Amino acid sequence: MADSLYRANVLVCGGTGCTASGSQPLMEALKSEIVRRGLEGEVRVVETGCRGFCAMGPVMIVYPEGIFYCQVQAEDVPELVEETLVKGRVVERLTYKEPLTHQAVPFYKDIPFYGKQLRVCLRNCGLINPENIDEYIAQGGYEALGKALAEMTPDGVIDEVKRSGLRGRGGAGFLVGLKWEFARKARGDVKYIVCNADEGDPGAFMDRSILEGDPHALLEGMIIAGYAIGAKEGYIYCRAEYPLAIERLKLAIEQAHEYGLMGERILDTDFSFEIYIKEGAGAFVCGEETALIASIEGKRGEPRPRPPFPAVSGLWGKPTNNNNVKSYANIPQIIANGAEWFSAIGEPRSPGTAIFALTGKVENTGLVEVPMGITMGEIVFDIGGGIPKNKQFKAVQTGGPLGGCVPASGLNLKVDFDSLREAGAVMGSGGMIVVDEDTCMVEFSKYFLTFATAESCGKCVPCRVGGRRMLEILTRITEGKGTMEDLDTIEEIAKGMANASICALGQLTPGPVLSALRYFREEFVAHIVEKRCPAGACKSLVRSPCVNACPAGVDVPSYISLVSEGKYAEALEVHRERNPFALSCGRVCPAFCEQRCRRGELDQPIAIRQIKRFMADQELENPWTPARKEPKKGKKVAVIGSGPAGLTSALRLAQWGYDVTVHEALPVAGGMMAVGIPEYRLPKDILNIEIDNVRRAGVEIVLNSRLGRDITIDQLLDSDGYDAVVLAIGAQISRAMRVSGEDLEGVLGGTEFLQDVTLGKAPDMAGKRVAVVGGGNTAIDAARTAMRLGASEVHLVYRRTRDAMPAQELEVEEAVEEGLKLHFLVNPSRIMGNGKVEGLELVSQELGDFDNSARRRPQPIEGSEFVLPVDVVIEAIGQSTDVGCADGCGVSFNRNTTVEVNKELCTTREGVFAAGDAVLGPATVVEAVAQGNQVAVAVDSYLQDGEPVSKEEWLAYGSVPLTWNMEGYAEAGREEMPVQAPEVRRNNWKEVELGFAREACHEECKRCLRCDLEDKF
Amino acid sequence: MASVQITIDGITGSVPPGSTVLEAARSLGVDIPTLCDHPAIQPIGACRICLIEVEKQRGLQPACTFPVNEGMVVHTKSPKVVDARRFVLQLLFSERNHFCMFCQASGSCELQDLAYEYGLDHWEYDRAFPQMPVDASRKYFTMDHNRCILCRRCIRACDELVGNGTLGLKYRGAETRVIADMDVPFGDSTCVACGTCLQVCPVGAVLDRMSAYMGATDEVDRVKSRCTACSVGCGLELVVRDNRVIRVEGDWDAEPNKGLLCELGRFGLMYDKRKRVNKPLVKTESGWVETTWEDALGQVQQKLSGAGDALCTVVSGLASTEAAQAVMEKLPGTKAVMDGGMPAAADGIGVLDEADLFIVVQTDLTKDYQVAGFAVKRSVRHRGARLMILDDAQNGLEQLAVWKGTPEDAAHVLAVAQDAQMPVIIYDAAGAEIAKKLVDLLPNAKQVTFPGGSNAHGLASVGLDTSFTANGANAYYVLAAEAGQPDEKLMDALQKADYVVVQSSFREPWLDVAQVILPSPTAYEKNGTFITAEGCKVEVAAGVSSKLLSEVEVIERIAAGL
Repeated sequence: MADSLYRANVLVCGGTGCTASGSQPLMEALKSEIVRRGLEGEVRVVETGCRGFCAMGPVMIVYPEGIFYCQVQAEDVPELVEETLVKGRVVERLTYKEPLTHQAVPFYKDIPFYGKQLRVCLRNCGLINPENIDEYIAQGGYEALGKALAEMTPDGVIDEVKRSGLRGRGGAGFLVGLKWEFARKARGDVKYIVCNADEGDPGAFMDRSILEGDPHALLEGMIIAGYAIGAKEGYIYCRAEYPLAIERLKLAIEQAHEYGLMGERILDTDFSFEIYIKEGAGAFVCGEETALIASIEGKRGEPRPRPPFPAVSGLWGKPTNNNNVKSYANIPQIIANGAEWFSAIGEPRSPGTAIFALTGKVENTGLVEVPMGITMGEIVFDIGGGIPKNKQFKAVQTGGPLGGCVPASGLNLKVDFDSLREAGAVMGSGGMIVVDEDTCMVEFSKYFLTFATAESCGKCVPCRVGGRRMLEILTRITEGKGTMEDLDTIEEIAKGMANASICALGQLTPGPVLSALRYFREEFVAHIVEKRCPAGACKSLVRSPCVNACPAGVDVPSYISLVSEGKYAEALEVHRERNPFALSCGRVCPAFCEQRCRRGELDQPIAIRQIKRFMADQELENPWTPARKEPKKGKKVAVIGSGPAGLTSALRLAQWGYDVTVHEALPVAGGMMAVGIPEYRLPKDILNIEIDNVRRAGVEIVLNSRLGRDITIDQLLDSDGYDAVVLAIGAQISRAMRVSGEDLEGVLGGTEFLQDVTLGKAPDMAGKRVAVVGGGNTAIDAARTAMRLGASEVHLVYRRTRDAMPAQELEVEEAVEEGLKLHFLVNPSRIMGNGKVEGLELVSQELGDFDNSARRRPQPIEGSEFVLPVDVVIEAIGQSTDVGCADGCGVSFNRNTTVEVNKELCTTREGVFAAGDAVLGPATVVEAVAQGNQVAVAVDSYLQDGEPVSKEEWLAYGSVPLTWNMEGYAEAGREEMPVQAPEVRRNNWKEVELGFAREACHEECKRCLRCDLEDKF
Repeated sequence: MASVQITIDGITGSVPPGSTVLEAARSLGVDIPTLCDHPAIQPIGACRICLIEVEKQRGLQPACTFPVNEGMVVHTKSPKVVDARRFVLQLLFSERNHFCMFCQASGSCELQDLAYEYGLDHWEYDRAFPQMPVDASRKYFTMDHNRCILCRRCIRACDELVGNGTLGLKYRGAETRVIADMDVPFGDSTCVACGTCLQVCPVGAVLDRMSAYMGATDEVDRVKSRCTACSVGCGLELVVRDNRVIRVEGDWDAEPNKGLLCELGRFGLMYDKRKRVNKPLVKTESGWVETTWEDALGQVQQKLSGAGDALCTVVSGLASTEAAQAVMEKLPGTKAVMDGGMPAAADGIGVLDEADLFIVVQTDLTKDYQVAGFAVKRSVRHRGARLMILDDAQNGLEQLAVWKGTPEDAAHVLAVAQDAQMPVIIYDAAGAEIAKKLVDLLPNAKQVTFPGGSNAHGLASVGLDTSFTANGANAYYVLAAEAGQPDEKLMDALQKADYVVVQSSFREPWLDVAQVILPSPTAYEKNGTFITAEGCKVEVAAGVSSKLLSEVEVIERIAAGL
């Protein structure tokens, strides 16, 4: 054949995704360039079906080398032809880049997206020209039909399919062979084959891919099915929204006729078979087989009760076999290669492959075909490339709008019919939507419910009315108007719908809601009880994403707006309504707000923390004196601990007229702000200004007054006349690693080390080799402090990978710039030495299963121990609360050492409240501030005779108008924060960050999109 | 297999194979509630009220569609079943406006009955109260979508029973709404106003205008009677309150109509605006004067006794057999039938539901004998029966016909009819002659024929089978009953006669031809037997009592004085 003379074949994807991203003009350009260069006799351009990697479209492969190019546009063609087709060189610019390493991956076979895939059903998609039957035949097409007709009896075919174990790919997973047998045995002269190509799930397009990319595979499967059950006619019910699929099917049917593979007396046997196409009008319910059949018959597409099953009475009352596109498309290969070949793929009870349309918050969106039994995590993280923008994985929704979601704990789940069903998700038609932390599961499930109720045919009451009632409830919850009883009602309706609906649409409509409720109940509760959408997605509950993300709920857009006008005092006032520590947080806050900033979806988030710092610094000269807001109440409150939680509650209570005394165990006030955060991040002078603000509100801070040593709760309440006590005692004891050698000299706890440095008791680090164990902020603080104390080398040892570190990315980067050496996938097994530390024995780790944080769990590799020679080991793997200080005072602690509190932060002892790290475990300043606010309200309520005090006025948000023209800032990039050079700062204790200049700060403010005003325009 | 053994709620019994669980339960005396199901129409399993638990089956199954199997064990009152039913009821009550106290159907509402049965004493779910339209564009009844539970009985009855297919659904899911044609006002639709939808509606959605708020179920009486509007002789029920017929319903148990009525049968007499003749009237120089029965009958006797054989009694086909008999036995002179020729009684109307070819001759079944027309329509639309029309006028069934021609083309029918298994020729007096020719050509054809009036066969059964022809009589007693103006021949004779007595229900202008007008009861007021087109003797029963003398009494009293 002439084709074999071509020197190169360029396969351009003509699938829907690539067509949308411009594969047609690309193909035209390629063809004309090839003609222009006189290569038409040597190079052939082939338009293929979908290759699945839609995120990277348009994609092409150049054979024989197998060079994979992605996101190729028409203007790239001249270079591509010149370099690759003429000179045989790879154009690196157009190759796929590994997202983490940005390494170019030039060859198709090496691309991780395809690495774990196994293309059985999609084997021809993207490889052959779907409009040419010869190419299908060249790939072994229609061999199976020939084999079936020449060598097999109809019963033999059915037996082969039964033995293969193929289960229906439409979603329910019924055994295909068994279904065929029913239809074969059903009485009747006329029987029908029906193919469900009414792929209605939003986001699912695997059937389309086969219809468009390999239509003959479907036809061949249907003809074989017709032979097996004794049917002479088949119908493909294809949605009208797939015009290309319909066009290619028509062409394929025509070609099959020409070749004697369809029509009368196929391949000169007595068997005749015709296939017709019926276009569906886009009703989701017509995917249900009885509704589909009704639709083919020209009736309203609605399901009817079964029995009778279509195998007995289907299309026009005749025995009918209905399967999904993928089920039929698998048949030719099962017949050609044998049942054993097929059943060896995948899982014993779910043999073969599964095709998923991978979409959502995942790097590599597209169509993937994997062997059954692969884990969800492998699909999301290995094939899918993980979650973009370093966001936290939240859940995967499978099975489309009637499916369900699984959370991180489901990442180890084997993907097959039965495991998914057990987990409350379903295989369905193969939609797989990945969502991250920014997705609200209540709203997410509401989205699917909205779809399913809109697609309810309305025939049966449970689906028609039940779905609607549930949607109303869910809507109410997303608006903050739900009640806890609503959750029971949802479950009740779901049960009723599952029991009483006619078809799967009604029975499964509650699926997404139920699974969201099962795995993310706390999000529903947050909407109902706290009127808060944790993900920041539900409009009615979210002022703006940044305000929502801030634990203290600081009105970010308002103060940013005021800063842009130079109204710093007003801006600070807005800030202090919810967070009095602007100076400190301007320096150390992890800025949850910035992670959610909508501007970040465009380019980079607003530099909110830096703006905050600039704003707060404007007041250094003339510090704030908090005003008393309510008259003196004549009641006394003792706060134990002067960290951010303690000081915030003390300040609030003092402003509301209470006499507040803060007891601090250490000789300095500020808690972890003072002794946990190093000087180079938060200078003590700055912190003290902020602590003095609290003092000026009338709060007395008693230093060196330790609970359990100098004071007791009994004493405070019974003898000293305090009316309430706030326990804000923090969590500053470093957890031990529990390896041998921890008692050696040179083994330090991270927090203790940092505290000693602050209190002037820094150990001698000069010239020492230091290993810090842990991946959090304390570990980084300890490492950078050790460097500044003169350590000769500092190593950070972490058992996971860098992307799994909980420490702030910026901190890690700065530490590395300063010379920190990072060791990943290693874990200490013992500390070696003789009286003194001499080395740290480490075991290399490999990543195993996923844990509940969606990170792979490190597992030691046996025999991989090696020793890192060091003189000091700093343990920074976690912190706990000093529970001993509260012994015998009637306050209970949880197993993880946090204080046991109720919703109002009241401990197990009346009159004693708790807040901050002691409640949360080690957290951030802003989270402690939020707790301080909350506990202050609780104490106030308690002291007003238990009446809940309405602080609505205090909590209300004002409205600051937009004062600049946003258009002018559409292109503006984020202002860079000036910092000390690494080699300089490594050797001093001065602040690393130097702060914004005034003009830069004002300009940065104006990048804000003012999402808080979104609904007001 | 002759029968299938099945156990329902512990009761074991045998039922015919192919039965549904619902049918089986009913035959075993087990009650299963239903809403969308109706015995006259095909089950669709939509409402889910009849859900039951079948052992070895996953989930719950609708009893109305689930077929019985040998040895099947069914539970109809298990907690799971009861929960599901209550759930469905709660949803239905939350869907639209089901405030019973403001609904006409309260007391005769199947939804309400179920709510009581299942102890619904509160609304479990928020009520949506969508503002749905009320379609009041039809003359006799309204459609209030706010009360509709979308059981689709109306749609299915219109389609399956009436063969009209006017009703359908628009939108889907919670937006679903019953519509007429392509969503036109019901009054502008292809609706034939037979009122079957009204009769099958289980709630207060399709509402009869005349009887609305006139009486709840336990305040009314029901009298089984017959329609006398035409010779089909449909069974009906008169719904009566305070000696007033407030509504007419089809009798589901009656042949040949099996519950159906046409516009005329259901609403004709109810909406008849003609003035009644309530008292005897005598013509004086100053016009018509009301008088007593004694006076009127006295005058009549006096005049007629002199007439002797010159008296001609003309009886309407709307009169009862008993009245005709009295005429034959008691009155002298000649006797004739007022209206209509009388094709010989032939096959039962029931064959219409078995025929595969209809040959309709010179009659429009969408206007006359409508209930028989419904059988033709549903057979053509659902059973694939063919229809041929021989008519030189326009015919309402034309659109359904495979062929239409004039009577001259009768020969063409043969070509099509040859391969028919069961051809039926349908005709009345107008087509009798052509039909005879067809019958000769198609010996295997069945015949469904309709005599004029409603009781022509009854009249004939007592020997009164002569159509009126002028015979030189000069005194006439016309028992017109509810009939309108007679044909020209009779009018002409009456005008020429010396003395004319007419007994009539309605005061019509033509009655001026008479010297005395005697009141006649209507079909709702009289008792008697009729013989229908298919030759069945049926009873017409008075729904209300009347102060008027009955037809027979009048005849007897006249005769007594002659």
